[in-house]
Amino acid sequence: MSIEQKEPEVQTQTAATQRRYRTLAVVRQEAITRIEKPLEDSVFVWPHLLVREFFSATIVMVMVTLLSIAINAPLRAPANVNVTPNPAKAPWYFLGLQELLHYFPPTTAGVIGPGLVLVALAVLPYVDRNPSRAYADRKIAIVTFTMFVIFWAVITLAGSFFRGPGWLWVWPWQGLYFDL
Amino acid sequence: MSSTANKSLLDVATQKLVESQVWRSIFRHGYPDTPLNQSLVMMGNVFLHLHPVKVSRQAMKVTYSWCLGGISFFLFLLLTVTGVFLMFYYIPSTDVAYQNITQLSSAVSFGNLVRNMHRWAAHLMVVSVTLHMIRVFYHGAYKPPREFNWVVGVGLFFVTLFLSFTGYLLPWDQIAIWAITVGTNLAPYTPLLGDTAYKILVGGGAVAQPTLIRFYVAHVILLPLAAALLMAVHFWRIRKDGGEAGPPPPARRELEAGVERPMVGVTR
Repeated sequence: MSIEQKEPEVQTQTAATQRRYRTLAVVRQEAITRIEKPLEDSVFVWPHLLVREFFSATIVMVMVTLLSIAINAPLRAPANVNVTPNPAKAPWYFLGLQELLHYFPPTTAGVIGPGLVLVALAVLPYVDRNPSRAYADRKIAIVTFTMFVIFWAVITLAGSFFRGPGWLWVWPWQGLYFDL
Repeated sequence: MSSTANKSLLDVATQKLVESQVWRSIFRHGYPDTPLNQSLVMMGNVFLHLHPVKVSRQAMKVTYSWCLGGISFFLFLLLTVTGVFLMFYYIPSTDVAYQNITQLSSAVSFGNLVRNMHRWAAHLMVVSVTLHMIRVFYHGAYKPPREFNWVVGVGLFFVTLFLSFTGYLLPWDQIAIWAITVGTNLAPYTPLLGDTAYKILVGGGAVAQPTLIRFYVAHVILLPLAAALLMAVHFWRIRKDGGEAGPPPPARRELEAGVERPMVGVTR
């Protein structure tokens, strides 16, 4: 764009036959540079997107710093294989799984279950063949996924805040057994 | 500022600097306040060229993406920087690891702050990656042509969880060892592999020194490299698959009912 196009020299007959070609650009039909795309729909990344990214990064940075000034990362007694805490809990994002272990055998709840969830997530775009992205056309997908997310949130919360010694049900006001 | 007489010393110095050969060898465009320079800055800067020159106004809205993918990436960068700092003071040995943490928290300048930041940023990253995934699902942004980028994203989600999980063991306190014991005790129940899976993960019969070094190496090298590789593919594919998906279009029935709405965000 910045380079001024010079008028090409008048070419002789021999030069024209020996002319070599360079690939300047390959524009694919589905590329974002498609010419049919209305231009008024788009804005320059500098400054419009970059300013949003800058401020979201700044807000996160400030949040993390304030959180770190206010709350210390937990550190308990040195590791001791002879003293098992009761309850012994996994990291919070696995507490849903630990809650499931309370109801199902380890192979089902601990390995096959999460494995299937991961595989199901990975193949989702190939299973959900509905081409529409409109909410109204995707009722089954949205309801199924929402139910799954709620189920996962509930068992994670249950495992985090409602389970105490011996994995027995404990209300949060009776005692918190939760480490981050 | 049109006449030279009105120019302050700062203006003159700025102009000299911007016109100097050193400056012009680094920045091959003027200040990005014209469409040409706004394009050149995006194409000529290695960090900015992850982005296109222009984006869809709808897809760029904060209330559309909630910046969740970008925040996840930013937290990854923050974790890398704080993590390298922590590596200066941490030895993955069951004898001294715990002491390293207490010394770091009490005797090292900003040690406690940086450790806290690493811990909280790690938890926040698990949250932001999860929310990003949920957001992408509801917008149907995993649909063609973005199917494969969703799969890469699932891989990144998995790597994020295991980055957090491996980091959990390193302080070698009661939380660490028992959380990892509970987690790894599931490995023997893996169909077909069974105890082999446990031995590969833990490096022995129980969580001990071989586990610590395994988790440490995975935490500081293997998984960050895997994440970086997957992120490179993930970001590249966003561009190659036509940019952000943008808000879902109205349903077919709404269109047929004659609801006049501009077809923004429709790429095909």
